[in-house]
Amino acid sequence: MTHLLEVSGLSVRFGGVRALDGLDLHLDEGETLGLIGPNGSGKTTSFNTITGFVLPAGGTVRFAGEDITAQPPRHVARRGIARTFQRLRLLTELSVFDNLMVGQHLTLDHGIWANLLGRSRLRGAIARQTDEMRTLLRHFSPTLPDRLHEPVSALTMIDRRRVEVCRALARSPRLLLLDEPSAGMTPDETAELMRDLQNVKAARPSLAVILIEHDMAVIERVSARCVVLDYGRKIADGSYAEVTRDPAVRRAYLGEEADA
Amino acid sequence: MDPALFAQHLLNGVMLGVIYALVAVGFTLFFGVLDVIKFSHGDVVMLGAFTALATSIAASAAGLSSPVILAAMLLAAIVGMALVGMLMARYLVLPLRNAPTLNVLLVTLMAGTVIREGVRLFYPQGSNPKPFPRLLPTGAFEFGAFTLRHDSIVLLVLGVGAIVFVHLLIVRTRLGLAIRAVAQDPETASAMGIPFRGTVLATFAIGSALAALAGVVNGLYYSEVSFNMGLLLGAIGFSAAVIGGLGNVYGAILGGFVFAALQTIGAVALPFASAYKDVFAFGVVILLMAWKPGGLLAERSAERV
Repeated sequence: MTHLLEVSGLSVRFGGVRALDGLDLHLDEGETLGLIGPNGSGKTTSFNTITGFVLPAGGTVRFAGEDITAQPPRHVARRGIARTFQRLRLLTELSVFDNLMVGQHLTLDHGIWANLLGRSRLRGAIARQTDEMRTLLRHFSPTLPDRLHEPVSALTMIDRRRVEVCRALARSPRLLLLDEPSAGMTPDETAELMRDLQNVKAARPSLAVILIEHDMAVIERVSARCVVLDYGRKIADGSYAEVTRDPAVRRAYLGEEADA
Repeated sequence: MDPALFAQHLLNGVMLGVIYALVAVGFTLFFGVLDVIKFSHGDVVMLGAFTALATSIAASAAGLSSPVILAAMLLAAIVGMALVGMLMARYLVLPLRNAPTLNVLLVTLMAGTVIREGVRLFYPQGSNPKPFPRLLPTGAFEFGAFTLRHDSIVLLVLGVGAIVFVHLLIVRTRLGLAIRAVAQDPETASAMGIPFRGTVLATFAIGSALAALAGVVNGLYYSEVSFNMGLLLGAIGFSAAVIGGLGNVYGAILGGFVFAALQTIGAVALPFASAYKDVFAFGVVILLMAWKPGGLLAERSAERV
């Protein structure tokens, strides 16, 4: 059986640094995978390579049976992979609505003339879209839907994070890549975001998610399976309990002397 | 001042403002998506006017009627310049995307000179100012000392219509959203599936088409075009875009009208010869820059494209 995402032998070099060194990774529909590892172990680089922002030196990425290795980001997006960024990359000067519309860019098209001239004919479609956006936002916060037309720059950090996740979800991707969504948030906020995410997952059972996370407690709660990276290599792959018992992981994470 | 005379100057100022705004919007759009200043923009205005002129000569030789000639020259200028804009973006500006901005500045400055001197050399007797055909209705409404020429009405409608069109394009359409997204963050935009290169090319086509329209409106208004008309129009359009806040479409429109107002004030309300109107207007631009370095609409940057 083929997996939804199959990464094999993926290598990336930045000058002399092997950012990824023969990474193998696979993921099935509906699965949630935690991607963990120390700083600089290649987690974000693997996202960047899968989504086409970074060109690999070797290896392949297959998605839904098709080879998408080294395809430009917009083609990867078109195939149904959406992502968030570790440092938020919302279009802060645009409204929440516009950001979500950008997220839906690929699925929208009512024709340029209809938009320019006959707005009335589109009113129904626009109202429906607005409703969908409000529903999506409501998953994450009861107050966000009311702020649909405010610029993102007026939102708090956690709300921006939520909007970015919503933007990624807006075009109904098959695979969602979350790059450390808890960065810069309090543990309570993180817990809240994870709960909201699980609600979304419950509503979209076939959605596959890869989550980069530093906080092991978060990983334990949301993902059944973990992959641990160190120096661009996969050093463990298994359930949370398995990988945390793995001596290589303990060395990478806790230092040589740690044993318990 | 006599109200009729005041109205006359106001009308003239608004007419100039529309032309300047059309040029300034191009500057601001290009800066928005690529963070570059395209200094050949004024010469594209001129090339648009000459394309229209050549088309009108060919069309009237073919014995077509005025409205048809007008439509043909507008179409030729707008489509032609949209293509020129796309070619320049594709082969001059995009290849230098990772080079210092100064290189783009220099390359477009050179391209402008090539266009300008090319028209001078290859258009028959290109060094001389050319009469631009009067294709619009010639009558006028008289209100005492205030005359409203019919052609001015048509030109105003045309110019304002183009500005409204661009506004709607940017605010309402998928392409407009793509332009705004690319302007803010090309990488994020492409992660969302927006084609970077296609969006940039479309932006250059739109900006250059507006330049062509500005050239034609300018020609129809003054009934004369010359190979070096783009120099001053380019400088004015650039100033207008900067006064308004570079990157902000509404700032560019505002800047166009502000510059036209300054010129008109310099020409009629100040105690020196009207030949100094540009000196006055550009002088005030310098002061404005010292006072608001980010441009008039810089604080409200929400509408930046």
